Amino acid sequence: MLFTRRLMLGLAMAGSMAGALAVPAMAEGPTEIDLFFPVPVDGKLARDMGTLIKEFNETHPAIKATAVYTGSYDDTLIKTRASIKAGKPPAAVIMSANFLLDMQIENELTNLDGLIAADGTTKDQFLGQFFPALQGNAVINRSVYGVPFHNSTPLLYINADKAKEAGLDPNKPPQTWAELTDWAKKLTKREGDKVTQWGIAIPCAYDYCGWMIETLTMTNGGRYYNEEFGGEVYYDTPSMLGALTWWNDLVYKHKVHAPGATPGPAVSTSFISGNAAMMMLSTGSLTYVRDNAKFNYKVAFIPRNVRNAVPIGGASLIVPAGVEADKQKAAWTLIKWMTSPEKSAWWSRATGYFAPNMAAYKTPDMVEFLNKNPDAKTAVEQLDVAKPWFATYKTVPVRKTLEDEVMLVLNGKKQPKEALVAAQKAADETLKPYNAETSLKLP
Amino acid sequence: MGLAEPAALPVATSAAPRLHVLKRFLGRFKASLPAYLLLLPSLVFLALFTYGAMGRVLIDALYQRATPKAPVRFVGLDNIAAVLADPAFTGAVVNNLVYAIGTAIPSIGLALLFALALSRTNAVSSALRAALFLPVLIPMVAASALFLFIFLPNVGLLDYYIGRLLPVVPNWLGDPDIALTAIMVITIWKNAGYYMLFFLAGLQAVPEDVMEAAHLDGAGPFMRLRYIILPELKPTFLFVIVIATLNAVTQVDHVFVMTKGGPSNSTNLVLFYIYQQAVEHYDIGKASAATLLTLAALMGLTALSFRTMANREGGA
Repeated sequence: MLFTRRLMLGLAMAGSMAGALAVPAMAEGPTEIDLFFPVPVDGKLARDMGTLIKEFNETHPAIKATAVYTGSYDDTLIKTRASIKAGKPPAAVIMSANFLLDMQIENELTNLDGLIAADGTTKDQFLGQFFPALQGNAVINRSVYGVPFHNSTPLLYINADKAKEAGLDPNKPPQTWAELTDWAKKLTKREGDKVTQWGIAIPCAYDYCGWMIETLTMTNGGRYYNEEFGGEVYYDTPSMLGALTWWNDLVYKHKVHAPGATPGPAVSTSFISGNAAMMMLSTGSLTYVRDNAKFNYKVAFIPRNVRNAVPIGGASLIVPAGVEADKQKAAWTLIKWMTSPEKSAWWSRATGYFAPNMAAYKTPDMVEFLNKNPDAKTAVEQLDVAKPWFATYKTVPVRKTLEDEVMLVLNGKKQPKEALVAAQKAADETLKPYNAETSLKLP
Repeated sequence: MGLAEPAALPVATSAAPRLHVLKRFLGRFKASLPAYLLLLPSLVFLALFTYGAMGRVLIDALYQRATPKAPVRFVGLDNIAAVLADPAFTGAVVNNLVYAIGTAIPSIGLALLFALALSRTNAVSSALRAALFLPVLIPMVAASALFLFIFLPNVGLLDYYIGRLLPVVPNWLGDPDIALTAIMVITIWKNAGYYMLFFLAGLQAVPEDVMEAAHLDGAGPFMRLRYIILPELKPTFLFVIVIATLNAVTQVDHVFVMTKGGPSNSTNLVLFYIYQQAVEHYDIGKASAATLLTLAALMGLTALSFRTMANREGGA
């Protein structure tokens, strides 16, 4: 098996026959594994990943890991699925945390319980290293399928200079929707009918839009989806109706939020250029804002209407189905190393994501970093109220049914109630086959 | 088939013609053997990467899973029926028609205009030709990334200049009424220069003597355009129309980069719909069925255009 695989690889790479035949001769060499990694934020991440893997290979001579850049989160899912189908899955993948359930339903993930047990630890001990909020997207039916690698939550970013100008105290950021509405009104500047400065900007493009309406729904007491079962979403509910109506009001009643659907990069550019005085965006953008804002800024929890709660975002390390035992073991060594407190902390400082491993925040380098950058601390503190990220059977299309309707509302083409009814109907339709096999499969 | 037919006919001398046909065939085959051998490498690759893939799509389009864990089973034309019944697909087809007409006509019109204006070669027209051709050289993905910045609401280049003149600044890519138009503008900008090349080549083929004769007969520039240049350009027109239509279906890089088919599916084109089915819905059966429908439409269109072209050329 090993022989043919290497031989094939040698041929495929147009290497010489001699080279291909020479490979099996050194069968005792290091176990070679691939790690698929996406770059969801910016190009610098690829370089950081190279540094990380180089260090791993230097300290683990028995394993030779290769980091393979696979594009966005979505592209990484496509490429992983293609390689599983081709029978040559990578040994490990950094996968968007909310794709895990769908992949598990499709039998595309390796159950990690065995590898945890082989280490002599229990699942509780293993998971106990990570922030509790992150466990929901890593554990499916009480089995571990993913290890949190880098994560985020949404934050409220405030242009402190503009707040002071408007007579608001940036050290007492808005904590409720009422306060936020009031701030946004005071921070919106108009020349006649034309708005020259928006009070607040909330991103809405596929993926981001779902995350933001989930955030608003959660702060309104809602649940958004069934965390225990992939066949149900809760779109047509009072909590989401309240959330969407408030967002709609910010646009059309209070006129403090630009109409239309605005993608994440446009929102951050708008904030950096001073065109929007506040924005809701991922903690993953914190490094970008820190490096680019030419004004004083503050970050705060997402304001609440009913309770403080936010969804997590980010990615987990997974082992695809069909990876051979020796490679599984090598991948597991890599995964444990990458999520250890020291490496987790290093990656967090390099990227702006927070470190999922709680012990990372006790390492001396991290303590020093947080003292220097107190804004990074807010993101970690908000984790206490964080909850799992939207994940269902066919996560992306189910989320998209809602996003399409939210976009119509933000463009003034539909009212919140009718939009949510339509979204619920479309989502139920997509979830139908899964329910037919699970909740509606009766004896 | 061609071999068997003569034998099936009730001809009195059955053996002779059959042998004759066989011989002729073998002779012909021998003569063209080197040609086949020369074609073989490309045929192998075509079979592997084009026909093989098409065959696979054809098979995949006939299979479907009833539920996620169920095995795939043969469903015949169910996938095609499901695609046709999907409002997202019909929406994408309508968008694609609007997009095809809305990009083909303006870009061909502009291309003709540019070609007529720049048909004489001198330093200025060469420089202008190069300038108009420049967008073709920029990869679509790079161009989309540029336009993403140009279209940024409130702070982008477009709003920085035009926004001052408008009472309300439009959210170019975030408003379902405008987004498709914005996408179309990029396509026109990108393709007009490319089509201009074809028209420039076509104009070279307009016979000098006919033009001179028209001149002597006192035909003005419009008469010459209407009665000589445009008729002479007919084959070019047909060819460019085919290319433009194919582009309208196959070029979706900018949709991918800029809008992902949104907002609210307003920029969803057929090819992007196929991508969504395959990747987001993970529904290979439906994706393959939609691919087949698209392929059939494109092949029909191409065949029709080339036949018209052949007829016209033959008739002229």
